This record gives sequence, C-alpha cells and structure tokens, in this order.
Amino acid sequence: MKQKNKRITPGKIYMTLILAFFYLPIVYTVVFSFNSTKSLTHFKGFSLKWYEKMFASSSMMDSIITTFVIAILATVISTVLGTIAAIGMFRSGRRLRAYVTQVNDLPMMNPEIVTAIGLLMFFATLKIEKGFVTMLLAHIMFCTPYVMLSITPKLRSLDPNLMDAALDLGATPWQALLRVVVPQLTPGIVSGALVAFTMSFDDFIISYFVTGNGVSNISILVYTMSKRVNPSINAISSLVVLIITVVMIAINVIPIVRDKVIKRKEEVK
Amino acid sequence: MKKLIELTGITKDFDGQRVLDGVSLDIMENEFVTLLGPSGCGKTTLLRILGGFLEQDSGTVVFDGQEISKLPPNKREINTVFQRYALFPHLNVFDNIAFGLHLKKLPKAVIREKVTGVLKLVGLSGFEKRHVNQMSGGQQQRVAIARALVNEPKVLLLDEPLGALDLKLRKEMQRELKKIQQEVGITFVFVTHDQEEALTMSDKVVVMRDGVIQQLGTPVDIYNEPKNRYVAEFIGESNIVDGVMLRDYEVSFEGRTFECEDAGFAPNEEVEVVIRPEDLEITTPERACIMGTVRSVLFKGVHYETMVESDSGIVYNMATTDRTEVGDRIGLWFGPDELHIMKKG
Amino acid sequence: MKQFRSMSYPYVVWITVLIVVPMLLIVGYAFTVNGTDLLDFQFTLDNFQKFFQDTVFLEVLIRSLRVALITTVLCLLLGYPAAYIIANALGKNKFVLIMLVTLPTWINMLVRTYAWVGILQKDGLLNAVLGFFGIAPLELMYTDTAVIIGMVYNFIPFMILQIYTALTKMDHALIEAAADLGANRVMCFLKVTFPLSLPGVISGITLVFLPAVSSFFIPKLLGGGSYMLIGNVIESQFLTVGNWSFGSAISLIMAVIIMISMYITRRVDKNGGENA
Repeated sequence: MKQKNKRITPGKIYMTLILAFFYLPIVYTVVFSFNSTKSLTHFKGFSLKWYEKMFASSSMMDSIITTFVIAILATVISTVLGTIAAIGMFRSGRRLRAYVTQVNDLPMMNPEIVTAIGLLMFFATLKIEKGFVTMLLAHIMFCTPYVMLSITPKLRSLDPNLMDAALDLGATPWQALLRVVVPQLTPGIVSGALVAFTMSFDDFIISYFVTGNGVSNISILVYTMSKRVNPSINAISSLVVLIITVVMIAINVIPIVRDKVIKRKEEVK
Repeated sequence: MKKLIELTGITKDFDGQRVLDGVSLDIMENEFVTLLGPSGCGKTTLLRILGGFLEQDSGTVVFDGQEISKLPPNKREINTVFQRYALFPHLNVFDNIAFGLHLKKLPKAVIREKVTGVLKLVGLSGFEKRHVNQMSGGQQQRVAIARALVNEPKVLLLDEPLGALDLKLRKEMQRELKKIQQEVGITFVFVTHDQEEALTMSDKVVVMRDGVIQQLGTPVDIYNEPKNRYVAEFIGESNIVDGVMLRDYEVSFEGRTFECEDAGFAPNEEVEVVIRPEDLEITTPERACIMGTVRSVLFKGVHYETMVESDSGIVYNMATTDRTEVGDRIGLWFGPDELHIMKKG
Repeated sequence: MKQFRSMSYPYVVWITVLIVVPMLLIVGYAFTVNGTDLLDFQFTLDNFQKFFQDTVFLEVLIRSLRVALITTVLCLLLGYPAAYIIANALGKNKFVLIMLVTLPTWINMLVRTYAWVGILQKDGLLNAVLGFFGIAPLELMYTDTAVIIGMVYNFIPFMILQIYTALTKMDHALIEAAADLGANRVMCFLKVTFPLSLPGVISGITLVFLPAVSSFFIPKLLGGGSYMLIGNVIESQFLTVGNWSFGSAISLIMAVIIMISMYITRRVDKNGGENA
C-alpha cells in the first residue's frame, strides 16, 4: 500500500492540475497585493503600500465596515428567525410546510439576478429608500433558508420522547423547548449561522441591485473599482480570502476538535 | 388497598382507526400493574393517556379522586420511563436526574441530597458526572428510572423499558425493578409485549388486544385460567382442544370423558379445553388418558419439547424431562386440575 | 405539541412579503406597459415582442446560451474525472480533497474572477506559461475564451461536488457484482458506475448552467464593457435604462429558457436511464 501511495499516477497529476487551477488565481491575488508597482502581471518587489492605501481609503474602509455590520446583523437575525421558523414549521401541518419549503427554494434555485430585480422593484414600489436597510433585509431574506436547511435535519433526528420527557418532569412547553430541544439543535444552529455569515459576507449580485445612497459592501466596491487597474482590490480581496478561510476552517475543524476534547475528557475519567 | 387511578370507558381513535375501545381499569396504590399485549394493541396509547401526552376521545381518567384529563403532563404527579429512555444527551447523569428538581427551584443542597439518594437506590452511586452517552444500555435504564423516581411521583409509568436490553440484562433488571418498586412503595404501570416479563413482575396483569381488555388478574390466574383462546395462546404455550361440557365437572374430548374442576356451563355446551405443555406426563398405556405417537423431539436445555400426535390426529405439545424417540408409542396423562375449560369463541 | 405551530407564522408572513411578492412583481411588470405603475395595470405583450423582434437581443440570447452550454460541457468533461478520482481516494485524502474543492466556492466569486484579469493579460501568467512551451502570446482578455475560463473556474466545483456525492452514494457491491459477472474495468464504468452517477451529473449540469446563463459580472470583468450576455442586458435595463417592464420580461424569458433546458436535461436522463 505504502509503495502504491508514493507512485505518481495520472490521477494524481490530474488532481494536482485541477487544484492548481482552483488555487493559483487566489494565490496570484494575494501575491500581487504585495506588489510594489501597479502592474497586475509583473511582480517587482514586496511592499505593503496597497494595504496602506486600503486603510487610508475611506470608501474601502466604509465598505469593509458595511460588509461586517451587515454580515453580523444578517447572521444574528436570520439565525434567530430561521431557528424559530424551523421549529414552528416542524410542528405545522403538511400544507404550510410545503408552502414554506417551496418558497424557501425560490431564492436558492432562481438565478440570483432574478431575486435581485424582484427585490429592487419591491423596495422601490414601497418607496423604501435603497441603502443599508434594504441591503440588510435582502440579506436576511436569502440567509434564512440556509439556516433552516441546516436545522431541519437536526429536528427530524430528534428523539420525539425528549420533549415529552421534559414535560413529564414538570417543564412547561416553553421550558422544554429552551432547555431540551434548543440545546439539541445547537450544532445545526451554529453551522447555519456560519453559512449565513459567509453567504452574506460574499454576496454581490443581490446587494448590488438593492443598495443605494453610496452604501457599498466589499463586493460592490471591487466591482465598481475593477474598471480601472487598482491593486488595492488585491489587498481587499486577500482580506476576504483570509476571513472566509478562517470561517471555513472554523466550520470544518471546530466539530472535530470538540469531539477530540470530549473524547480526551472521557479518557481522563 | 386504596384505589389510586380509575379509568372509565376510555376510547381513542387515530385517523379513524380505533386504538382504544372503552377501556375501564382500576389501579390501586402500591400496585405493580402490567399492560400486556402485542404491538398495536393500544397499551402504549393507554399509558400515554395516563401520562398526559394524549387525550382520550371519550371516557374519564380519575386520579386520587380528581378528574385529570385536561391536566398537562407537567402538572401530573405521574412520571414516565420512556422507551429508549429519552435521556437528555446534552446533560450529564446528575443534571438529567436533577432536571425536574431544578424546575421546582429546590435549594441546591436538597437537590444534591435527593439525587445522591436515588442514585444509590438504582445502584449508580458515583456516576454523577458521567455523560449519558457513555453509559451502557442497562445504566441508561437506571438513570431513566432515577430521573423519574427522584420527583417522588405517586405513579411511575414504564413504556417497554427493558425492550432494548439483552436477555441476561433484562432478567436482572426485572428483579431490580420489582425490588425498587417494593422499596419506594409506589404504583408502577408497566407496558410490555413480553408475557414472561409480565408474569414475573406484576401484581396485576392486563391482557389487551385491539384496544380491548381481554383479561385482568394476577399472573397465576391469567396463566392457569385464561378466559379465552387469545389469552391462552398469548400467555405461554398451550394445547387447545375442542370439547363438549357434558355437565358440571365433566368434559368430553378425544372420544373420552374426563373429570375436571370447571362448572357453570350449559349441558352439552361446546367448549375449548386448555392443557399446558408442562402438565402433560408420559405414562404407561394402562394409566394413559390419551395414547399417541412421538412426532418430533427438540432438546431445550431443561426439558424436551416433544410433539405427540394422538390416535385421533390431534398434535399435543409437551414439555417433559423424559427422553423419547420419534416414532415411540406413549401414553399421556393429566389430572382433573390440569384441564382448564374456556367458552368457545 | 401543536403549541409551537404559531412560531412559524411570522416567517410565513416574511417570505410571502420578501420572496413571493417580488416574484409576482416581476411577472406583473413583464406584462405592463413601460413607465406605468403596476397599480393602474395595463396589459401588454410589447415587452416580449420587443425582445424577439430585435436581432441585437436575440444575438445576446444565443451568445448567452452558447457560452453557458460550452461552460457546462467543459465543467462536465473536466469535473467528472476529478469527482471520480476523489470518490476513489482513500480515507483522509478523500476528506482533504473534498475540502480543497469546496473551499474556493465559499470565497467571493467576484474576488476570484478579478484574479483572472491579471492572469489573462497579454503579458500575464497564462501567456508566460504558454510561452514556456513555445506558444505565441494569445489575446485572451475581452474574448469568449476569457469569459468561459472565468465561468468554468467559478462553477466547476459545483459539478465536481454533485458527481462526487452521487458516486459515493453508490453501493460499491454493485461494481464488485459487475466485476464478478465478468465485466472488465471499462465495462464496469460504462455499464454500472456511469449510469448510476447520472443523477449527480444532472444536478451538476443544473448547478452550472443556471448561474452561467444568468451571469453578468463575469462577462463584465473578463469580456469587457461592450461584451453583452443576457445578464448584462437585465442589469442595464434596471440600473441604467430604468425600463423595469422590459427588464422583467427578459428575466421571465430567461427563467422560461432555464426551465425548458432543465426539463430537457431531465428527459434525456430519464430516457437514457430506460435504455441502459
């Protein structure tokens, strides 16, 4: 087996090429964010000047702050909303459940641009001024279905007797929900929240259509700035790559580490 | 003994399907009652109505003199040990057991004392900090019992609590449960489909079928004097033979007339005669009640399960310690007290 | 516990207002005379007529479909072997590979697309590599090729992940059974593995074709300001021209085309499945 592992197979070469295709552009962006000249094609030397420019630019810093504030608010609100809705839906009749499932599917299945123009016309029709609030509402709208998607399977695998057991031991229905059901859903709620965060943090199309009044997130800024060569885009892009990588590692590694810690605790006992 | 629970005319439908059909049952204080029947007989539904998880469509549930049908489970002085235990996976043993006490906002010291006490009762002292997922089935079972008992209910409901355990552990837990019940001195209502379990532990067995109580009585009564073919067949192995009750204390089958201890049938009423396999004895042709030929012999450890076909073609199942060979001609003997006569139908 | 049912009611109201109503607005505006309010609704088919009578728009539509189709085919051809290799990787390698394929999908598409602006320049990385093999520098930026590279780059992970899932869900005993019955490795693949992975291929095609046909920032970034796909037309109708009715009509046309192509894809899958 060991020898086999060391052999270079066509499969390995192919996977290496595919992964190079995936990661080279990302690495390229990060490398050129440290370039000392404006060139996007020739690396002339290491410098932090594009980062300095980024931090000095109020529009860039504003967009970073907007992105974070929207992502955090959208995550918190959609997680709470999604958790409540998922629990309620689980107890509801078939028809209501079918309605919610199908409507939830719309923004996930439709081309994003269709969802975006729908929202644009909706906000305009209601004369809601486009800007921070509309962007936040839109983000909550498209994040919540993903939160529900990660909670519903946990609800389904929940032992129905747990709720009964809590009631049996004297808990009111609300106490049973908060003390027994919600703790069981926590892993689903956490991963739902992380997915919501990355969705919101990365969103471009919907944000681009529903924003106004000069409110931009990072994606919108990159899009509007990309018309002219500006290596500060690489700096801000590298920042995005860093943040999302950290979040994704958190999503994938935290459960593994947690399991290991629990196991170790067990072993100590 | 004082009457604690009085169920009257309980009926329950699920999607047009009648699950309980006019069940009436009295449960005494400090009684170990078993609801016995195959799956789908309505025993679990009845238990859930008692626990307050379901409401009956008609009928009344009186507990300690009060009608409690509208009372939610958290307001009833009844606790449940659930099928597969339903322990809270996010809490350790101590917090699982203390769950109900925390809700009652008892002082910490009292909670600690009560939990320690009940853990001792179920034989799990020192397991407080253990995570419930790291425990064996038998241990989880004990935690579930402790979690219910610590609230000092007047009645403990147990829904097939031993179903998930292996045979040996199940026997051990049967003894243990009986012991715990005697120690705490409260009423246990136990649901099972295992007739042996029912007979071993109960003061009173309620045999159910299709939402109707078939027979209600002590284990000995139920075993020795089943009311009908269903009960006879459900409780242990039995030979059931068609016969005619000639007059009181005289029954005819296999073309012969036998003395028996049953009375109160109409003259020449068609009946069914029950003979338990262990009540048949091998004997000499002179002493035999019935003559027959051995058709099969299975070794069962303590005894042989021997099938004997009588000369009139009826096959009897007998449990005997005597070894015979297939093809042997043997005589079967039984006494008058070993015949049990049931109404036909 | 029916008492928690009411917990879903706020969300039902929320999605009705923020998802259903906007969708209805698109349909409504598509059939309304431009410039009028939806409240004094005036039915018209002009918006659709305008689209189909103008060769400029039809050319854009055909180009969008062509680019999306090429992208989908390339994703399938390049993605299937990758999914197959990952599905057959051992233990930890499998997990790491799937992580590596998934990670980029979570990073902002715009940011990842922008990276190609540098790579595809005439004096950029790609031409440098090609030059190493003796190939003269190519004019890549602002061409179909650049747009397709950008789309394949963005969407191929979806294809790989879908096929991978289908392949791992498959009962390995089936392949062993086929081998046992005398099929060689190629036959095993053609007669068992591939037909059984078709559901993954179909959803992969859906997940690539749908964003490819509606994309507007990839063509804008890599195709240049005058390169138009249908997404760009919709964008300009809403954000530059301000003709909501025409924009809505184009969106509806696009949605219908997507639905039809999905339907055809599923039909092909079904028939293929029956023949196999």
